[in-house]
Amino acid sequence: MSEGLLQTPFPERASAALKDTFLQEALTIATTKFIDLRKEAFAGFPAGEALRDRARAIKEATLQHLDVHLERLADNVERLGGTVHWAATGEEAREIVLRLCRDRGVRMAVKSKSMATEEIDLNEALEHAGVTPVETDLGEYIIQLAHEKPSHIIAPAIHKTKGQVAELFSRELGGHFEADPEVLTAVARRVLREKFLQADLGITGANFAVADTGTVVLVTNEGNGRMVTSLPRIHVALMGIEKVIPSMSDLVVFLAILARSATGQKLSSYTTLVRGPRRAGELEGPEEFHLILLDNGRARQIASTLREALYCLRCGACLNVCPVYRQIGGHAYGYTYPGPIGILLTAMLKGNESVRELAHASSLCGACKDVCPVRIDIPRMLVELREHLDREKIAPWTERMVFRAFRRLLLSPAAFRFSARAGRWLQPPFVRAGRLRGLPLVFGSWTRTRDLPPVAARTFREQWKELR
Amino acid sequence: MAARAEFLERIRREVAKTPGLFGACAAPRPAVPAAAAEAIRRELAERWPEALERFRQEFERVAGVFHRARDLDAVPDVIAGIARERGVRSLVTWDPATLGFDTAPRLTALGCSVVAARAGQEDEASRLRHRADAAGAQLGVTGVDFALAETGTLILLSGAGRPRSTSLLPDVHVAVFGRERLLESLEQVGVMLEDLHVDPDRTMSGAMINFITGPSRTADIELTLTRGVHGPKEVHAVFVEAP
Repeated sequence: MSEGLLQTPFPERASAALKDTFLQEALTIATTKFIDLRKEAFAGFPAGEALRDRARAIKEATLQHLDVHLERLADNVERLGGTVHWAATGEEAREIVLRLCRDRGVRMAVKSKSMATEEIDLNEALEHAGVTPVETDLGEYIIQLAHEKPSHIIAPAIHKTKGQVAELFSRELGGHFEADPEVLTAVARRVLREKFLQADLGITGANFAVADTGTVVLVTNEGNGRMVTSLPRIHVALMGIEKVIPSMSDLVVFLAILARSATGQKLSSYTTLVRGPRRAGELEGPEEFHLILLDNGRARQIASTLREALYCLRCGACLNVCPVYRQIGGHAYGYTYPGPIGILLTAMLKGNESVRELAHASSLCGACKDVCPVRIDIPRMLVELREHLDREKIAPWTERMVFRAFRRLLLSPAAFRFSARAGRWLQPPFVRAGRLRGLPLVFGSWTRTRDLPPVAARTFREQWKELR
Repeated sequence: MAARAEFLERIRREVAKTPGLFGACAAPRPAVPAAAAEAIRRELAERWPEALERFRQEFERVAGVFHRARDLDAVPDVIAGIARERGVRSLVTWDPATLGFDTAPRLTALGCSVVAARAGQEDEASRLRHRADAAGAQLGVTGVDFALAETGTLILLSGAGRPRSTSLLPDVHVAVFGRERLLESLEQVGVMLEDLHVDPDRTMSGAMINFITGPSRTADIELTLTRGVHGPKEVHAVFVEAP
């Protein structure tokens, strides 16, 4: 994410998003549609709930022996004639790709959508080294032309109108294109088809990697993942280490729930299983296959608080249902991974300090946990993150002080009774339209963007006493 | 190698802290994949008509076009019909020896150019020629290794005489299969994949398996569903009735 954006504090980024009326409309339409599609998909799929449990169990079991599965995956990929690279950090991963480009004289790389490459800012590094990266997922292509970043994990350009895309294509590609998705898609098809056929290098992420067989699995709808793994002479797949699964029997469990959670499809249009470079008798396929295994902060969470975030399939379902994401969209979060799971992934990759504001960008309503295909307990981890920020004194002192005082209050019945009475007595000047707003002092930073119910005329405790 | 050892050591250290924390297990796997696969085939030999009907419904739901051919000899006629309707002038096909039929006589008579990939061609010149042919072709003809009824999915193994791009580069993809290819569920696909990978050098001549569920699609511009963004705009399945 560009440094510029992160210099503005989160509340300002969020209010800017709230004032963007087009963004508001686009977000509502998109997230509502995704929610409905997902709901419909699981309604007609009674086996789904049990499969979600099983998928979660597979992730747990795999993490528990992650070293074994990674070794097995690496051995199998090497046996197939592929090369395995081990990248402890994003920088190491970038270096591996750049070295490969230098050694092989690569000038242009076609990419299929990959959050892992976004995470390590690979495109900037490639450009810097004189290699042209071309994003080929339509949404990613649009935002690459616009020099922006994805705003949703699976629909990167939902913040753009067809009018904006038409303008962008007309300017960047030369021509005058109608603001019609059919027309614009056809334009992208024509332009990108050329690139697929010219590029020396194809770069992908991985939705899964099957340890038992050395297979990298890509799930796409557009077919760009297939192009990128079939046409260029070199294929590089970059995957987070948590993407490994033991066997093909496990793979089909995930396939059954992934697309349903993401887009409501039973399966995405294409699921592509890549087992190393092309075989001797094949007319097509890359002659070289490289698999980069990326840690970048993941390993240290295996036995730690954010462990469950390593189960994430990147389906985007938790974004769509999140009341915060639905209001502010992906960009306001400021990092590669937006939404509720994004906060946890950001903490994992960039450290807890990086989410001192974002840790609070959740109402803890639990909708994310309900829709997560592997039932990741996001709210619990957010609470633990907040605790950590408090304990490590990363949170602002006013916040820590208020919460400490609040804790005292809740622990002592007498203090609680007294404060209710004091509150009722002091609150009238701040009650507007039945809500507490615009409180003074440190409380003001709470009520600037939120309101509270006022203390009741007769509290529950007072009524209870009479009832007895 | 040092990087690998160090990398794995770091993970091992973390993993060592977890035993007993979670009572989890991976998905159950068939003990003898070949036997499990054989059992499924036996069941499907009885139940294939239901599976076919489900396949047709699901395939049409994802915008696939379903056809029937009496036997393999009738397949070129069906393909000719599809080609004529769309004004197709050029085709690429998998190796006729793999497919079990040859489209060339019927389609060239219609004035179409037909290029068939042949197993055994793999030199650089054939490679380049094939790429140009595939990029220019309007219709691609392939076989099918598994037809998954539950989702209307065509599963294709790449390999000698079975190029990956035949089902990808042309605007129209026509896939041909018989009853023995039908499967009912993803779970069965899992068993078949396990079976294929027991001795992959024997069972597969290629490095890629593609699951194809309808035409290429995107909804990246204002969530408007658009077909044929990179891959085929149309997918046709031709079911061969004769066993």
